[in-house]
Amino acid sequence: MTTSADVAGAHGHGEPGRAGRADWAALTRLALRLVGPGIVIVIVLAAGLSAVVVIQYGYNFADPTQAASLAVLAQSPAIRVLFGAPIALDTAGGFTVWRTGMFAAIAAATWALLTATRITRGEEQAGRWAVLLAGRIRLQELVGHHLMILLGTQIALGVALGAAMIAAGATARGAVLHAGCLMTVGVFFASVGVLCAQLMSDRRTATGLAAGLLIAGLLARMVADGVEQLAWLAWLTPFGLMAEVEPYGAGRVAPLMVLAGYAMLAGALAVVSARHRDVGTGVFDRAGTRPSRMALLGSIGGFAVRRTVAAFAGWAGGLCAYFFLIGLLARSLTAFLTANPRFAEMAAQAGFAGLTTPQGYLASLFALLALPLGLFATTRLAVEAADEVEGRLSLVFSRPVTRRRWAAVQLAVLAGACIGLALLAGTAAWSGATIVGARLSLWEALAGTVNVTPIALLSLAAAMLALGWAPRAVVPVGAIPAVGGFLLTVLGELFNWPRWVGSLSPFAHLAPVPSTHPDWTGAAGLLAVSLVLATAGLFAYTRRDLRS
Amino acid sequence: MAVVDASLPIRAVGLSKSFRATLAVDRIDLTVGPGEVFGFLGPNGAGKSTTIRLLLGLLRPTAGQVLIFGTDAADAVAAHRRLAYVPADVALWPSLTGAECLQLLANLGPGIDRSYRNELLQRFDLDVDKRCGTYSTGNRQKVALVAAFATQADLLVLDEPASGLDPLMEQEFRRCIAAAVSRGQTVFLSSHHLAEVESVCDRVGILRAGRLVEVAGLDDLRRLRRTEVTVAFGPSAVVPAEELARTAGVSAVRRTSASNLSLTLTGSPAATLRVLAAADVVALDVREPSLEEIFLDYYGSAA
Repeated sequence: MTTSADVAGAHGHGEPGRAGRADWAALTRLALRLVGPGIVIVIVLAAGLSAVVVIQYGYNFADPTQAASLAVLAQSPAIRVLFGAPIALDTAGGFTVWRTGMFAAIAAATWALLTATRITRGEEQAGRWAVLLAGRIRLQELVGHHLMILLGTQIALGVALGAAMIAAGATARGAVLHAGCLMTVGVFFASVGVLCAQLMSDRRTATGLAAGLLIAGLLARMVADGVEQLAWLAWLTPFGLMAEVEPYGAGRVAPLMVLAGYAMLAGALAVVSARHRDVGTGVFDRAGTRPSRMALLGSIGGFAVRRTVAAFAGWAGGLCAYFFLIGLLARSLTAFLTANPRFAEMAAQAGFAGLTTPQGYLASLFALLALPLGLFATTRLAVEAADEVEGRLSLVFSRPVTRRRWAAVQLAVLAGACIGLALLAGTAAWSGATIVGARLSLWEALAGTVNVTPIALLSLAAAMLALGWAPRAVVPVGAIPAVGGFLLTVLGELFNWPRWVGSLSPFAHLAPVPSTHPDWTGAAGLLAVSLVLATAGLFAYTRRDLRS
Repeated sequence: MAVVDASLPIRAVGLSKSFRATLAVDRIDLTVGPGEVFGFLGPNGAGKSTTIRLLLGLLRPTAGQVLIFGTDAADAVAAHRRLAYVPADVALWPSLTGAECLQLLANLGPGIDRSYRNELLQRFDLDVDKRCGTYSTGNRQKVALVAAFATQADLLVLDEPASGLDPLMEQEFRRCIAAAVSRGQTVFLSSHHLAEVESVCDRVGILRAGRLVEVAGLDDLRRLRRTEVTVAFGPSAVVPAEELARTAGVSAVRRTSASNLSLTLTGSPAATLRVLAAADVVALDVREPSLEEIFLDYYGSAA
């Protein structure tokens, strides 16, 4: 939020014509307020989770023979592809890096790029940068300044993570390397976010581009780990470089340096490209004029579909690529685990049971699909909330359109889109599995992916509940069933938490389809809860004041 | 409960709205009759937009009720079938073109007069193949105005509709209002632009700090107020300043120079004219105060 005090501060003392110390101090306060409590949550989650895993390792994997046998896991390319290379699993730090590293890196990267585009392009698009730049600050300086703020947040994350791991008992050198990796991945994606915000003139497109690069980075890492001839790809992706460091194995510093180089390159490109554009525009500005297309503007439903199509295509592309790859691995992984039952047991302990058949293996991975589907539904409903807060719905609701009908239609379209994404992901997994000759029918694959949609619908319903009460809380509340539930399940299984704790997660009420039959009662229960939440949300949405 | 009269475009009874501790709209009673052009005046922050959002059912009243053509404002489908709205700050979907926004808005209602819309587009000189994200404030306002006027709805609710328009377009806007009035449409026009209200409205409500302090016909409102009279006397005339000051209806008598005098007159001028007839008056300037001055009178120096 821009306050008069902050803006006034931007004209503080200093050399005339150049921004002085007071200007930068005011800008820093402003940027920190925008970065807000988000970074604190990310730091607490990443550092806390890693520390907890380090501590729990002592209880669960204290037996050295058991720990030593884990190392053999590295022989399976499929294991590497899915969970990252298992290195030094006989140490608490090594196990923590393998179990939480990729998750924490993805979380930090996602937060970094979302925040980067929000505090740069988002603020600029809202017209607030025009106010700041009316002072003595130049655009390029402002972009550079925000990069530094983001760098600061990632350093804070790195320091907290490293300190937490060391305090929990992990070896210092590995902890520092691991924290350095996560920090640099975060800095890289923050820089990529700022760069995309320079290239694109609207925040959503910039975020989409940056998120696309993140997904490409993840897929490249999976391919590099799975296909020996393409192992060099690891050096092109932050996630691959991070794995190359092997904090508790080889402990290489060179890949970390390369990663830091990439981050600096992205940051430098961002600052340079800021020089080649006007305020309020992007380097690749979309044409201001285009022929009007009147399709799907005839009804509320049509318009809801029209607005969802582009995002649907983006998510579908990412999900299909991922699940196609998963399908391709179906045979090699199941063959490996059948030959090494010990590892199947290990994987079960890490939250992935029954990996010895293509059906079991895919059932485990299809459960993961609930996360992107839930996030898709939630972020799309957040677009609805943004439309309201930015005043676009005032015109709509001045027409003979009820809020109940409008919101119900959005929910129906998003629910349909979730099922559509599930069907596409299932088809992609089946295609991959069929190419490598794994025995899996299309029907089984589709049943498996559609089986997880109740969790996505629960996320959608939770997001609707938030829209009814607090439109700004749509994303955090909507993410609870899918992301929160997943974390609860994984941690509960890892640490043998009491059964009732685990049963709070919606994932506990899904059967692993296609390896078993669907849990109809569980699915019906999830759908019933979704229906109640969505109805309550719709009711509140209809009765409250429209924000603007 | 308000008396239901389906012919009345707007009927608000005891309408109040609080946002936590802030009372934004305070017990407003208001009736706008069919075919009327009602001006809704008030300084920034007086609660004009809040009142309008209450009329549209976008906000829920804390107390009181709004009836639009006899239907509760909360019933959007029935209340909005005969209504079109232009917000003060028009927000459109940045990726849609102007034509696409117009198409969507037209399709959400009972339909529009397409030939009139095309005429309006020409008159407002709007390039509809531009993405709304690239439109200026004035152009976004034009989109909303074209969308509203093209519906030819029985009631137009316009919230500071011309604030972003240039003078030429403002004229065009006034012509559209005149055309709407001649068609029998009712117009509810909020503004702090007095010339706009003065030139188009039949009746004016003045809102101050959430309260409707005055509702009057434009003529009533003027008559309620003073007339400014400036008198120039001949070089050798005896200026009857003291006598004027004692005359009924006269106030603020001021000698602006040896032979000039100004006074404020309320009510009938007969007595004053009798006094002046006896003196050697060489020039007399009688001026009706502008709405702006009436307006300032309400708010005093705080306006």
